[in-house]
Amino acid sequence: MAPVTLKHVKKSYGDASVIHGVDIDIADGEFVVLVGPSGCGKSTLLRMIAGLETITDGEVSIGSRVVNDLDPKDRDIAMVFQNYALYPHMTVETNMGFSLEHRGASKAEIAERVRWAAGILGLEPLLKRYPRQLSGGQRQRVAMGRAIVRNPQVFLFDEPLSNLDAKLRVVMRGEIKSLHQRLGVTTVYVTHDQIEAMTMADKIVVMNAGKVEQIGAPLDLYDRPANQFVASFIGSPSMNFIGGKITADGFVGAGVTLPLPAGVIGENAVYGIRPEHFELSSDGLPATVLLVEPMGSETQVTMTLGEHQIIGVFRERVQAKPGSTITIKPDIANIHLFDASTGLRIN
Amino acid sequence: MKTELSPRVKVALYGLMSVLLIPFVFPTWWMVTSSVKPISDIFAFPPDLWPRRFDWTTYGKVFELQPFAQQYWNSAYIAAVVTLGTMVFSSMAGYAFARIKFPGANLLFTIVLLGLLIPSEVTIVPLFQMFLKWGMINTHWPLILVPIFGAPSVFATFVMRQFFIALPGELEEAARVDGLGRFKIFWIIALPLAKPALGAVAIFTFLHSWNLYLEPIVFISSRNMFTLPQALTQFTDAYGGAMWNIQMAAATMTALPVLAVFIIAQKQFVEGLAHTGLKG
Repeated sequence: MAPVTLKHVKKSYGDASVIHGVDIDIADGEFVVLVGPSGCGKSTLLRMIAGLETITDGEVSIGSRVVNDLDPKDRDIAMVFQNYALYPHMTVETNMGFSLEHRGASKAEIAERVRWAAGILGLEPLLKRYPRQLSGGQRQRVAMGRAIVRNPQVFLFDEPLSNLDAKLRVVMRGEIKSLHQRLGVTTVYVTHDQIEAMTMADKIVVMNAGKVEQIGAPLDLYDRPANQFVASFIGSPSMNFIGGKITADGFVGAGVTLPLPAGVIGENAVYGIRPEHFELSSDGLPATVLLVEPMGSETQVTMTLGEHQIIGVFRERVQAKPGSTITIKPDIANIHLFDASTGLRIN
Repeated sequence: MKTELSPRVKVALYGLMSVLLIPFVFPTWWMVTSSVKPISDIFAFPPDLWPRRFDWTTYGKVFELQPFAQQYWNSAYIAAVVTLGTMVFSSMAGYAFARIKFPGANLLFTIVLLGLLIPSEVTIVPLFQMFLKWGMINTHWPLILVPIFGAPSVFATFVMRQFFIALPGELEEAARVDGLGRFKIFWIIALPLAKPALGAVAIFTFLHSWNLYLEPIVFISSRNMFTLPQALTQFTDAYGGAMWNIQMAAATMTALPVLAVFIIAQKQFVEGLAHTGLKG
């Protein structure tokens, strides 16, 4: 186990800069998730930590060592790849013991470590099989087994669940999390799925276009996003945004005036409110229903408020028909205001 | 989705395939049956599809008229060395072109491929002069070196490159994280996975060497050094007329390893070409 530090890390391919100076501190034993849309640079950053990509500028440290110029094998890391990257011509057992074998471990030690890892992941009955004889979930488990068998200082996961179906993804999510809790190894995990990020991370790093937008605990990011990008990326359904002006009467959007908490100053702004922070109320604002999607535990309603299309999520079973009007009230304790030009949080 | 054909369509299809098979099977059938006919029966009209009389002595005569066992061995060991050498060089070159980034890689590969466009007849005279200078005329060296560093190897390099390009990059990255260097990644990860492509390379290289004709007649002059295609032309009587039945017996024995290779390895051959995207 070791802390990982990234200091002003940059990456360019020729003239094209893809990582623009990233600073992240990952504490010993922490589970950090790098999340962001496709092409934001999160996988590149992970590969730079792994040593699979060179670092154009800045410094990557694992433990007390700066590892910029070290080969992946000398960084004491283990990586789980998106496509598992199991060696197809080797059995599960050989796959798992492969790195130890090439680091000069004795046969007895390899056998013991493989048995230990297989025991943790429930892989004992599969040890003699080849990867092609395994299901997606089993392959994923073998890939994790291969990573833990060496007892590395850092685990790196590159979108490991993206090839699994939705149900298996939930199961494996839990397995990875419990594996981390059991082993306590520093983990850096890349995903584009914000639900994975929210449920697994001790700390989330939200990235966009090669920059870090915000770093924080999952609920901190959810409750107080630093800017409009983070607010829109974290949470599903996404936060509603209404452009307009802050006035003494409240927030004036197109065809609607929304209540504001006291003491808010500013001018042109974006009013953000999460779908679950509307409530049905007879003294609320009229909204025209466009679509009602009952989820069982809650109801998701797409509607227009003034001239803005928004989504509300209600615990109640909303019976409204498309075209009908319901009255809703925003919870002003949970509204977010962003500067219209910079997108930064202002309340 | 696989659709079940009706019995009528099946019969029609098999009938059509049987007819189409005739031009491919007939020469082999004629070669084998002629090898056991007395020479006068070969020219009988109408021709006999099945020999009227069997003359098995032709097979013995093949060995009496030529040092055929020696020639057989020459062809076999040359083909084996060429096959092994081509597999080694083409797999390494193919891997390098596919997986190692270096300046001018594509240009260099194009130049290598252009070599395929030059007919061997064009280069045979300069090659003869070169091997003459090196004192290798009437040795087997030209028959080994020309294919290993010539057109068959270029084609093999192309096949191997196409295979290695399709190999997932993550496998190599996983191997790097696991502690392997470039050569070990090639040797332990990439090469074992390239078995189908290597199999295809082995088959067509072996066959190319086995059937090589122009180079042996240019570089080899003594009978003991002959390879089989060259030896086949030497079964003539005192007047230079071909002794067809003996020649056909020799040809049948020459074709046996080729048939064996195809029957044993045809699946691998097709798989190998399919992997490289060469199969239609």
